Amino acid sequence: MPRYELALIVKAMQRPQAAAALRRTVETLMERGAVVRDLQNLGDKLLPYKITKHNQKHERGTYFLVDFYSAPGILASLLDHLHRDVDVLRPTVLKKDDPVSGSTNCCGTKQ
Amino acid sequence: MFQVIGGRSVQAARLLSPRSAVLLEAVRGRKSREDPVAKSKEGRIKVPPPVDPVEMVVLKERFSEYQLIMRALRLEFKEEVLRKKYQEETGSMAEERAKQEAEEHRALMAWNDQENQRLLKLRMLRFQKEKEEAERKRVEAEIQREQEQQELITQREREILQLQEDAKNFITLENLDQRIEEALDNPKNYNFAIDKQGRVVKQTVQQ
Repeated sequence: MPRYELALIVKAMQRPQAAAALRRTVETLMERGAVVRDLQNLGDKLLPYKITKHNQKHERGTYFLVDFYSAPGILASLLDHLHRDVDVLRPTVLKKDDPVSGSTNCCGTKQ
Repeated sequence: MFQVIGGRSVQAARLLSPRSAVLLEAVRGRKSREDPVAKSKEGRIKVPPPVDPVEMVVLKERFSEYQLIMRALRLEFKEEVLRKKYQEETGSMAEERAKQEAEEHRALMAWNDQENQRLLKLRMLRFQKEKEEAERKRVEAEIQREQEQQELITQREREILQLQEDAKNFITLENLDQRIEEALDNPKNYNFAIDKQGRVVKQTVQQ
């Protein structure tokens, strides 16, 4: 199962630059020996608050989700690299747990 | 005279609880050894009571006869006791009794042995049963473990196959551009609205 999830917020850009930024990110991942499983676009959105990064203020950003399998040792250097990327506003790597099975044990809304 | 401390009390004690055969003893009552004799008793000569010879003879005879009889009786009784004791140890009855006791002893020992044998058999049976039970349990446990192992293996295989299937959809350097284009074309929206009745609305406006 996917080990990590990179929630990436990229600067609001035109399509070719966005594609280039994505390509750069995925290649960085692959250089460090990660296996990228899936890439999702969560759309262009208004950021919840203004983010200042690389001496620029941003109000809009594009959200991407990258699932990948990797060794845990590379994450630090990866994050460092992503912080330095000008187009990336906020990189966040999270561990991905196994999806909860749809069992009826969880009562949820029922009392 | 000054050693008269408990004269009367001594005699009273002797009267109340005589340990010896005589009630009175020669005790110097009030006076001690060196005291002079009293005036009223100066020329006194003690004289024993007079004895009647006829009476004496008759009494002597009777007494001797009496004592003879008493002694004889006593010795008879003593002899009887000793004989009884002797009979107990070395008489005809003693041998029979000894034999009987020996018989009893043997019989009881035999019974005891039998009981032991019986219990031994029962014990052996029980041991056998327990061993068999233990064996059976062990075998069952082994089988169980084998089964669990097999299940684990099958599960792992299933997972591997699943992963192999998924691997076909992973992103590689060749797919990269295509997948990026695909992703940029299809923005996915995970937001939804729900109310207290549980109605879900998946279509929300993106800003």
